[in-house]
Amino acid sequence: MSAIPPRARGAIALDASACTSCMICVRECPDWCIEIESHTIEVTEPGARRPRSVAVLDRFTIDWGLCMYCGICVDVCPFDALAWVPQHHYPGVVPQDLRHGIERLEEFDVSDS
Amino acid sequence: MTQRCYAVADRPEVRVHIRDLGLACCAVEFASAIARGLLIPAPEEPGTAAVLVISGTVTDALVPEVVRAWEALPEPKAAVSFGACSNSGGPYWDSYCVTKGVDTVIPVSTYVPGCPPRPEALIDALVSLVVPV
Repeated sequence: MSAIPPRARGAIALDASACTSCMICVRECPDWCIEIESHTIEVTEPGARRPRSVAVLDRFTIDWGLCMYCGICVDVCPFDALAWVPQHHYPGVVPQDLRHGIERLEEFDVSDS
Repeated sequence: MTQRCYAVADRPEVRVHIRDLGLACCAVEFASAIARGLLIPAPEEPGTAAVLVISGTVTDALVPEVVRAWEALPEPKAAVSFGACSNSGGPYWDSYCVTKGVDTVIPVSTYVPGCPPRPEALIDALVSLVVPV
């Protein structure tokens, strides 16, 4: 029995701190399995001429029941917020179990890959 | 479509009657689980739980066959949806002829994500299905 190769496409991990809610992954996904909700806040920096608008990520959901593991979202992310990980053990008892939010997507261990 | 008794190589106490409904490419991963020795043939024993593994795209035309295979299975039984297509329609979520999840026609106990899922994911699903029982 061979071990699972580190490059195996088991799941896609999220680094929420790198995500800018730009929605490129959502729009490029062929299955429309990614959902993002965000809001914008105004940050005033000392010395700046006007406040800066910053997007804050509220919700990031991948529906693994729908995902076809093509990796387009990983490729198009301009901020490397998404990465492949070899972990594959996350079966669901109901279809909703396969919808992973920010917490579960960040739990995937990127150091494995 | 074959029905045989298999034991999980790493957990020999986990023994199930598996009927694989290989409808598309996920069936190759199922075959790989057997070819790589993750599942090993076991002697037939009465009362062994039966598992219907739906691996592949379920089209509307094939739904009667899927339901027939499910109803033909003796109790106790469970269905495993293996792969994105049988989970939800997957890449064919907008197709006119693909069933949007096999759970719309038969009760599913475990949904295995992947396109295709790794053979190990099938083993994980079988173990998590059988061990609580």
